[in-house]
Order: sequence, then structure tokens, then C-alpha cells
Amino acid sequence: MKIKRRDFVKLAGVIGAAATIELYKPEIMEVFAAAKDYYHICWLNGAACTGCTVSFAQATNPDVVKLLTSIVVGNDDTKVGTARLGIRLPDYMETLQPASGSLAEYLKDNVWKNATSGKRILIVEGAMQDAGWCKTGGSDFRDVVEDAAGSADVVISFGNCASFGGIPGEYGNVTGAMGLQEFLNSVGVNKTVIVAGATCPGHPDHLILTLADVIQGIIPEVDEHGRVKAFFQYSMHENRCPFRPYYDKGQFALKPGEEGCRYKLGCKGPVTYTDCALRKWNNHVSYCVEPGAPCIGCAEPTFPDIPGDQGAFYAELPNLPVFLGTPVKTWGEALVIASAVGVAAHLVVRTVRKPKKEGV
Amino acid sequence: MVTVTIDPVTRIEGHLKIEMELADATGGALGTWQLVKPVDAAGKNGGAKSSGTLFRGFEIFLKGRDPRDAWMITQRICGVCPAPHAMTSTLALDQAFGVEDKLPTAAVLMRNILHGAYYLYDHPLHFYILMGPELGVLAKYPPMVPPALGVKGISSINLGTSYAAAVEHQRRAAEIVAIWGGKFPHHMTEYPGGMSVRPTVDRIATTFARMVGIWEFVAITMQNDLNAIVAQNTTITNAVNSLIGAAVGLDDIGVGTGNFLSYGLFPDYTDYSDWIDPKKRDKSLVKSGAWKKGDTAPGQTGFDPDKVTEDVKYSWYSSASGLKPSVGETTPQKDKAAPAYSWLKAPRYDDKVYEVGPLARMINTWGLTWSGDAFKRVHPVTGEDFGNVSWTVLNANGSIVDRVAARAFLSLAIANKMFEWIAALKSYLNDPVVEYKDVPDTGSGLGLWEAPRGALLHWLEIKGKKIDRYQCVVPGTWLFSPRDDKDRLGIAEYALSCGTTWLPKNLDVPAVANAIYPAADVDLSAWGVAAKQKWGDALGIALTPHGLANLNMEPYTGTPRYNTSLALAIIRSFDPCIACAVHIITPEGKRIVTKL
Repeated sequence: MKIKRRDFVKLAGVIGAAATIELYKPEIMEVFAAAKDYYHICWLNGAACTGCTVSFAQATNPDVVKLLTSIVVGNDDTKVGTARLGIRLPDYMETLQPASGSLAEYLKDNVWKNATSGKRILIVEGAMQDAGWCKTGGSDFRDVVEDAAGSADVVISFGNCASFGGIPGEYGNVTGAMGLQEFLNSVGVNKTVIVAGATCPGHPDHLILTLADVIQGIIPEVDEHGRVKAFFQYSMHENRCPFRPYYDKGQFALKPGEEGCRYKLGCKGPVTYTDCALRKWNNHVSYCVEPGAPCIGCAEPTFPDIPGDQGAFYAELPNLPVFLGTPVKTWGEALVIASAVGVAAHLVVRTVRKPKKEGV
Repeated sequence: MVTVTIDPVTRIEGHLKIEMELADATGGALGTWQLVKPVDAAGKNGGAKSSGTLFRGFEIFLKGRDPRDAWMITQRICGVCPAPHAMTSTLALDQAFGVEDKLPTAAVLMRNILHGAYYLYDHPLHFYILMGPELGVLAKYPPMVPPALGVKGISSINLGTSYAAAVEHQRRAAEIVAIWGGKFPHHMTEYPGGMSVRPTVDRIATTFARMVGIWEFVAITMQNDLNAIVAQNTTITNAVNSLIGAAVGLDDIGVGTGNFLSYGLFPDYTDYSDWIDPKKRDKSLVKSGAWKKGDTAPGQTGFDPDKVTEDVKYSWYSSASGLKPSVGETTPQKDKAAPAYSWLKAPRYDDKVYEVGPLARMINTWGLTWSGDAFKRVHPVTGEDFGNVSWTVLNANGSIVDRVAARAFLSLAIANKMFEWIAALKSYLNDPVVEYKDVPDTGSGLGLWEAPRGALLHWLEIKGKKIDRYQCVVPGTWLFSPRDDKDRLGIAEYALSCGTTWLPKNLDVPAVANAIYPAADVDLSAWGVAAKQKWGDALGIALTPHGLANLNMEPYTGTPRYNTSLALAIIRSFDPCIACAVHIITPEGKRIVTKL
């Protein structure tokens, strides 16, 4: 390996996430190129909308074309099928793979599962549910995941649904939707899930940088929700928001289309930890707040709700202006200020959702 | 009777299982080809069955929420077509807030631009990434086969050139959605009565810049590729004829009922009143209509939202059948006995089996020949004229190639319109973008728009400033519907059972490809393969290292094995998006939406 071992997600935290992937593009590519054996990916979709796959297809540096043409089949093109690059098109990925039906299942159950130990990456998109709500290839999705996670060397959740239950796990959750870590804990699979994408949908950079780390044997540092710290440690509002000066001056947009801080439009930036404002989306052209929308807090475990209650995207955070200067930092603090009932609700939710810390 | 099952069907959205009962064997030059049991004249008794296999539960989340959240939650029904869900929901909200006739022109234009860009992402994505591989293989057209031989395959034999270009293209189009919506998937800037984003010179300029490359891809690459596929139709037809004694071409495959439903798309920004009544929608880029089999001109059979009903005899519900969606109340019954086989209900229009989707939009707008100014190809920057294109529908009842052509032609019409909308928006830089209104105490609204896969309906009712009821009838339900109360097959089932869906027995993809294209003329010398190869053998060489030697064979090992390529092409020609919502009320009166 030509490059020294680099922890790209850590760099993303130090340098600023948007810059990392640009500054280190050749090195990130090299990571994928330098590994001597394939990493095998199994990408499973549970209670998903496929938005995370579509989001992944918007990746840049390396983009999906690069993954398909250079990385999948190798840069040694002198022989057909000579594949010596580090990562290949997923062995299993319902939304993109060429194979259907029984061949698709075979590729998952044999090729992926029997790949070299240490090289099997499982990526899950979409929430886990109670038995009977989701079937694929004739099996209950719970069994599919339990089985795959048992074999996987690294387990990654991509997107809020896979990480925390997300949309199907919303208030009124009728199918028992939950995040992957909670599910694995409940069925006794002793694996730690790396939450590479907490947002809705997952951000392609977050996944690609995490994979670049994993392929070098680096397991990124995560927060108490399993989220990769480098991407999810800073408050949108405190550390990252370009509209922050408006807030400090007390200039608020009161209706859509007005200029000013989006706080009174219901912006959840103050209780949301993500690097969206710096990294931006879709080849870094924009992000939610820029064209006048409020942040809806999609990187948080409680999304799309507030702890213990149904969410409201356009509702102002409780009581924040009272504490100008020392704004609240989490949903918990917001609700401490709001009411004791809120605190109780918050504790209940955190207890249910918090992943147990277990060894890899 | 043999039954062949494909589970999961891949390169679609969602979880879908297809079962096909085969008719008796037919001998052929290459051995036995078996037909999916055809439907009878009444559209009954065909061999194909489709069932969705995931249930999420949407409507219960929406009940009690702020109505303004509805468009953000419902776009998460589907991450492939989130923007149309957002738009349809917002149209319903416009009506419920009582502002649908007061929309600022700037907002209408920005909606058209954002959703136009969305279509320019989606149609090419389907054309190349989801449907393209089958067409590329069938038509011996390397640019549309995935780049299985990597960079060298692209440079030496054009394997996957258009496929790779399409990946980049869809990303560029999605960037325009992000410019106006913050991000894609799941953009952020809709609002009842308008938009929350403002038109700025910067947004307009960056959109224009991206549109030039997008236009070139859609107007030139996509049209060339469509022509290349169609050019092989005679070869394919003759080859199949010599193999099994049936002259079956691309236009004979996946034939539907000939009934086409469209709700319309992209209002005329100079006359929004034409758009508000879905029975009108004459000036919008895509018109509304309910083209009946045998119709000869658009508008002959107008669309009436009141004629939509839903049957449940074959669906896992115990409630009444044949109801209109606005009064439809449905009780799920997980253990409902056979013949029920799907979570999907069976929507019907005017008591007939209708096709929705790209072909339905084109036929209801342009009839059976698509020509004229909408399909001009004048380069937006250089002014170079590449000549108008036109298409005469090859099979008036629908076919896989007509559906593919419909995506290419609507993409061109939208790409042309985008420049008009972008230019017009410059005059509205300082105008209001939203007719703002507080959430009403009560209200209801109907939203009718088109997802790329077909007609999309949202309906909501507000009580006490909260959502009380929410319903969607989505294209996936129309397309992959099970049989109805009269035992008539859903449109995709029908197309699979139309009498031309052959499943070659024990003949894999390379064997069939070799039979259609016997010439050994594919040059793989760049990989050290000395002799020139037949098309099928070349495919085998490319596929085998990927573990795909048994591609599309069901089951992949053992005997007999059936080649399901044609069936998969038919299924994918409908662009399955199984993230579709069905509406459920539990006996306690709680409402939920199921995601299938």
C-alpha cells in the first residue's frame, strides 16, 4: 500500500468534512485500489424507500461510474475479469444488481457469505420490523439480516431508517420498526453497527469515507448513538450554519421565502448534529436550509418526531429564544426547558432507542 | 403445469415477487420454449401473478400531524420518486389551504423547473440503468449493456458507454433538484401556496449551465440509443420466427389492454386556471385523459376522477370491494385465504383495466404519433439544428419498446421546455414565491400529478388544524395490481400473459443471444481473446467472472431451468416502484397506509 494508513473520517472532523473528500480524493481512490483482495458488500433493503441507494448514486469522488468501471473490474484490464482492486460492486444489492431471483439469492448466500473472512461488509438500508411485514426472496427480512449480520465482518447502517427506525418507526409505528443495532441486540447478534449515515437519506460521502476507513482496518470513532463522530459531532446551529449571523442579530424569516435565520420556520438545527451545512448535498451544490427550508433534524435518533411525541417540522423549538447566548444543545435540554413531562418522555425514548455497547 | 417464480425481482424499487404459470411446451429449433399461460378474450385466466411483500404503515404517522408536514413525510414513501409525492401532496395542500387559484407565477415556474429536472433524472435512469441492460443484450447494442469489462471495455468495444454516461447524467439532473430544493432525494422547498425557495440569478444561471449537458444527453445520446435498439427489431423478429415459428418483435412483447390513464403534468404558467380542474388540463405539457382502446385522438375520452374504484377480492383485506378511494375503507386481513395473494388493491377506471405511466402520458397528450415542436432538437447554446424527431406508436395496446420510447420522447419534450421556464423565471426575480396562509381549521384537498411510473393521487382531510385523513392511490398499485372482482388481471400481469412471453427452457442468455446473432464479430482481442466472438459468447465471457453465467435462469441451477429475460424486460418496462401506498383502516377506526 503506497499511502500511509489514514483515518479519513477523522480528517473529515479535523479539516472540515467538505474539504476532506476533495483534498484526499487521490488517496481515497488509492485505498479502494490498493487492497489486495476484494471487499465484498452485501447491501440489504428492509423497510426502506430506496432513497439511500439513490443518494449513494449521487456520490462524487469517487463516483459510481468510477466504482463500476475501475473499481469493480480492476484497473488491470489486460485480462477479462481480472479483478484486483479493493472493492467490487455489491455481491447483493436488489436495486442495482444484474441478477434476479434465485441467482441473486445464491450470490448473497454463497459468494458473499463465503468470501474471505475479514472482507465481508454488510450495509443495511431501511428499518427492521416485527416478523411478517417484510419478505424478500421468500424469507422474513428479520431472518435475512440476522443471518447476514452473523457472517459480516463489518456492519454498517446507512440512513435514518436503518440506524434508528426513521420514517416507519415514526410516532404511531404500527410495524414495530426499529434501527439495526436495536434489532441485533434483541436477537442476540453481538455486533456493533457503525452508523455511517444518520441522515434521511444517507449522505454518499459519509458512506464512501467510512468504507475507505474500514478497508484500511480502521473502525471510526462513534458517538453514543453509534454515529461516526467526525460527521455528526457538531451542532448544525452552533458550529456549522452559514445563516447563524442572522440568528445572532435576531433577524428571522417568519414566512417561507423571506431572508433571515430559519429558526422561526421550525428549524431543528440547534438540536441536530450533522455536517450538512459544510458538506452540502448533490455534488456539494446546496443543503436543506440554503433554499429557505428549515432543517428537519433528520440526523437525530428521534427523527421525524420529537422525543415522546409526534414531530412538527414547521413548529418552533420550545423556548429557545429565552436562552439566547446559551442555546440548548439537544432535544433533551430543549425539553427540560419546555416541561417536566417532556423530560420523562425523552428518557423513555432514549432508553428504548439507545444501542447497547457491545464488542465487535 | 409448471410455475416459474422470480423472487426478488431486482433493479426495481421495493420488494416484488412474480409467479408465472406456463402453458404447454412448444418445440423450436433450439429446443423447447414455453409460454406464460395467455389471458382469454375477457382478460381473465392468464398465468402471471404479482405480489408486493413489504408493509410499512404510513397513514397513521400522518394522522394528527401538522398538514404542512404531509409532503415531506409522503415523499419518503419512495426514494426513487420522492419529488412527485411531494408535488402531489402539495397540490392537495394548495386546495385544502384554499390557495390553489392564487399561486404566484414564480412558484409555478420553480415547481416546473424542479420537477422537470426530476423527470430528467428519472426517465434516463430507468431507460439506462434499470431497463437498459435487457435491451442492450437483446438488441446487441454494447453501449446499453453495463460496463462489465471496465474502462477497457468502454474504450475498446463501447461496452457500457451510454450506461456510464447515464449515471453521470442523472447526477447532473439531480443537482438541479438540489439547487431549487436543497437536496435530492427528499427535497425541502415545497409549501402550500407556493415554494420557500426564491428565484435568484445564481440559481437560474447554474440551472441553465447544467441543462445544456442534460439537453445534449437527452436530445442526442438517448435518441441515438433508442434508434439503435429499434433498428434491430426486424433482426430480432426474424430470428425468433425462425426459432419458434412466431414472428415476435419488441413491439409484440408486453402488450397491454390499450386503455391509458393520465392525470397531466407541468401546468402552463401563463394560464394556471387550466390546470386547477383535472378534467381540463389541456394546456399543460402533459394532458389529462382516459384514452380508451380504439380511441384515435387525445381528449376523445376525458378523465373524470370520480370513475376510479378499487377492488379487493384478491387482496388481503376483508372490507367492501369496488369503492371509490374517497370513501374507500379497508380492513387488513393478514390471514385472508386464497385466492387472495397481494397487499395491493386492484384499482380500475370506468370498470376497465387501465395502463398508467409514460406511454399513457404520451398517448393522452400526443395520440399515436408524437411529432411537432415539442420534439425539436435545436441546441440551446449553439443553435445547431439536429432535426425534429417523431415516433409512431408501434403497438396501440402498448409494448415494451413503446414504453421505452415514451420515456425518451417525454424527456426531450421536458428538456426543451426547461429552457423556456428558466428564461421566463428571470422576469419574476422580485416577485412573491408563496401565497402564505395559516393552517386552516378544516379543509380537504385532492392532488393529481404523475410520477414517472404513472398517475399519482393524494387526498387529505384537515380537522382542528391537523391531518385527520390521508390517502394515496399510486402508480405501482395500478400497474402491479392483482386480479379484480371480475377476475381480470392487473395490467402488468396482463402484459406478462399477453401471449408472447416465452421462457426458453434450459437455454441461457448467451445461447439465445448466439441464436439471434450468429455472426462471430465481437472483438475481444484487447483481453487476449484471439478469435472474434459471437455476441452471446462475448456476453458469457463478460458475465462469468461476475458470477453471472446463469443470469436470469430460474432456478439458477438444476433442470429444468427457464430463461426469464423476456419476462423481466416486460416487468421492468413498467418501471416497478413497489413503494406504493394502500390505505387501511383498522376495525378500531385507526387509519394506516401500507407500503408494499
